Amino acid sequence: MQQQPPVSTDKGPLPSLEELLADVKPGETVLEMRGVTKRFADVVANDRIDFDLRAGEIHAVLGENGAGKTTLMNILFRLLHPDEGEIYIRGHRVHLRSPVDAINLGIGMVHQHRKLVAAHTVIENIVLGHPKAGRVLNLKRAEEEVKALSERYGFKVDLRARVWQLSEGEKQAVEILKALYRGARILILDEPTTALTPLETERLLESMVNMARQGLAVVPFITHKLPMVLAVSDRVTVLRGGQVVAQLNTRDADEQLLARLMVGREVLFDIQRPQVEPGPIVLQVEHLSALNDKGVPALENVSFSIRQGEILGIAGVSGNGQRELAEVLAGMRPARNGRIRFDGRDITHAPIRERWRLGIGYIPAERTEVGSIGDFTLVENVLLNFYFDDELVKRGVLDYRRARELTRHLIDEYGIAAPGEDARGRQLSGGNLQKVILARVLARHPRLLLAALPTQGLDIGATEFVRKKILEAKTQGSAVLLISEDLDEVLMLSDRIAAIYEGRIMGIVPAEKARREQIGAMIAGISEEASS
Amino acid sequence: MTIAGYQVGLKQRAALSGWQAALISLFAILVALVLFSLVFILDGVNPLAAYREIFSYAFVNQYGLVLSLSRFIFLLLSTYAFIIPARAGLWNIGMTGQLYVGSLCAYGVVYALGGKASQSVYLPPLLVIPLMMLAAAIGGALLGGLAGLLKGRFDVNEIVSTMLLNFIAFWLVSEMIKEGGIFMNPQGRSESFALPASLHAPTIAGIPFTVLIALALAVVLKFLFDKTRIGYQIKAFGLNPAAARYAGISPPAISVLVFVLGGAIAGLAGYHYFAAVPGVYKIARNYSYFGDLAFYGIIAGLISLGDPLAAIPVSLLFGGMSNGGRWVQGKLHMGFGLDYALLGLLMITLVGFQFFYRYQITWQKEEAHGDVAIPG
Repeated sequence: MQQQPPVSTDKGPLPSLEELLADVKPGETVLEMRGVTKRFADVVANDRIDFDLRAGEIHAVLGENGAGKTTLMNILFRLLHPDEGEIYIRGHRVHLRSPVDAINLGIGMVHQHRKLVAAHTVIENIVLGHPKAGRVLNLKRAEEEVKALSERYGFKVDLRARVWQLSEGEKQAVEILKALYRGARILILDEPTTALTPLETERLLESMVNMARQGLAVVPFITHKLPMVLAVSDRVTVLRGGQVVAQLNTRDADEQLLARLMVGREVLFDIQRPQVEPGPIVLQVEHLSALNDKGVPALENVSFSIRQGEILGIAGVSGNGQRELAEVLAGMRPARNGRIRFDGRDITHAPIRERWRLGIGYIPAERTEVGSIGDFTLVENVLLNFYFDDELVKRGVLDYRRARELTRHLIDEYGIAAPGEDARGRQLSGGNLQKVILARVLARHPRLLLAALPTQGLDIGATEFVRKKILEAKTQGSAVLLISEDLDEVLMLSDRIAAIYEGRIMGIVPAEKARREQIGAMIAGISEEASS
Repeated sequence: MTIAGYQVGLKQRAALSGWQAALISLFAILVALVLFSLVFILDGVNPLAAYREIFSYAFVNQYGLVLSLSRFIFLLLSTYAFIIPARAGLWNIGMTGQLYVGSLCAYGVVYALGGKASQSVYLPPLLVIPLMMLAAAIGGALLGGLAGLLKGRFDVNEIVSTMLLNFIAFWLVSEMIKEGGIFMNPQGRSESFALPASLHAPTIAGIPFTVLIALALAVVLKFLFDKTRIGYQIKAFGLNPAAARYAGISPPAISVLVFVLGGAIAGLAGYHYFAAVPGVYKIARNYSYFGDLAFYGIIAGLISLGDPLAAIPVSLLFGGMSNGGRWVQGKLHMGFGLDYALLGLLMITLVGFQFFYRYQITWQKEEAHGDVAIPG
């Protein structure tokens, strides 16, 4: 390992981490940013941000997509260099040169996308890149030290397990342990609860509280999941449009207030579910089974039906067959057994395009991998659901002029923030891309709408919009299958709720009778008889 | 990076216009020619004189020009055989085999009609020439389609399958034209029987009429890619197969389609060189030379970024340089392989300069940045 010269400060070289943090008392300011500004071309991503962090606190940073959260986080971890502004650690002004400097100063970061070696064990991943690891691995000693760490902060991970065997929550715990083992005293968590089950979320929050209690500063960056912020944080900094719009103590805040600060206007949390008299059965699924990509049964003997003007919500924890269900219904995955009837017609083996033509619209969970093409313009992306339509094709030639008009119309109607209809898909934010997909699918007025994780990863504003549009589709007479891992969302939107666990429907409950705890138990596979 | 007080950096381009690409390519050609002058200088040859010789033979000299254009047509067709599958994200390395099989099928038609007997046999050209071309296209399409089917149906890597099919086609030609083969030249010179004079393809000012087909294909393909539903589906599949499938585009259908189309055009390239170029009119003994030449279609396709119109100047350049390079090598008594070396350097430079398709160099005067440089 190459020896790095110490980080310089305005008062000469910075003392070592141990010296620096020797006598930190809880509540003392450990890190401070003053007037931090970062510009990208003409966009000011961070505009004179002031931010301070105290030992022993959980300090949530809230903001919608594009509010400047990621930039701020990357400046903290020195993945980006600020154009202006100063950073102080315990009163020393520091000039960080790289993430290595940040790590040496006790700043640890847990990314939303895991950066672990899947084939290695947990302990190997934790030791990987650690200066103490040196050339000869002493895994035994490392293991003892990590074990002590995980007991101290309440993490439960098998250190000998291979990473690919772990759940999302366990992988996250590994990343946190890795940062702690590296000496982190300030822990940045990027969207920490995304992809976690309710139980895992609870455990994470407990660990966060534990870490704070022992003097660490924990900084979760969050776009949604306001209840989590309110549950554990001590202070909240809210960003909007690159600026700090508020910094407050959590006890002075409530969900409404935070949402209003983030979005800049009132947000409706309780959407009124419109009452529609259900029409005839549109989709009838009988004893459906399917395999996943590894050839293992992922869907077993699933039966349900959806009527016109009705939303059936599929509640479940990630990886319990939801993806396979959506794909089988859309025609992208073969059914092993069972039957799918659409308007009374057997479509179990109908090809994908025929299903689109018949009036099935599919919003896939994988927006960038499946739902859109990054190198395509928005016009071309809209065409994905229209290129086979007689209205837009004359003798094999696409009518690009009409496609352009349609796209422009959808951009207006859905308020899609894009430089124009010739913008590429990859230039759009997640929320706007989802709006494009939603707009184009709904423009077909599908008789059956399959919406898989339609609001995952979206900020509050976009989430609210997507939910409204789904309800609108229902009032206009679509039958809707809503697959969501957000139990609150399922409860909010659905007329009936089906709980899925390990590929089976554990029960279907009408919305009026559904209780949160009951559904929560069913998706954890606990009480089958709870369904009534 | 700082050079002479200027902060020099790279910036990713948002978009690349056609003329920018053309300008960058022209610059690359100049750089390649300057670099290659070293070869001439080391051999004691004045590079300017050498280049004058190369260009005047390739594009001015009456005989040289016909030869250059014949190669240009051949290269352009080979390029299209590569571009069509490339649009769908698939690699056709099999234009060589496809053109071999195409040539065999064209000669098969002549053989079946008794054209082998003598060069003076009369066969109605208006009927038989189109038939030969059709057979060549079908032959190439079948061999290409086989690779497409293997890819689409069983996910067999198309690079491997087309490459291996090339070997089969190569030995098939050998089997057919060498000693004892059905298409053997009666004089037994390891080449095929010569085409009856009545089937010598028409020429326009000495240039094979196939030039019209190649240029028409440029327009047809441009239209196919940019305007039609099929072109849209090919592009969608090429950029993101999963999204294409989601939209109801059938992956096996696309891979068969693009390889059938590409193979058919490669088959036409075979017809062109062995049945339409003046002075050839047979499957030549050195047929493998043209098989190798077809591989330049891959690079021409990459340089023109899959654009059928941009492929025209690129193929013209390579056709001319391969011809002029060979000429100057003989004329100035230079070492063997000069033409290959020239083509190789041109291609490497052109491909290398594609870096500037994606990035542009920026510079601005250095300002005093107190924070940037940190004393250790």
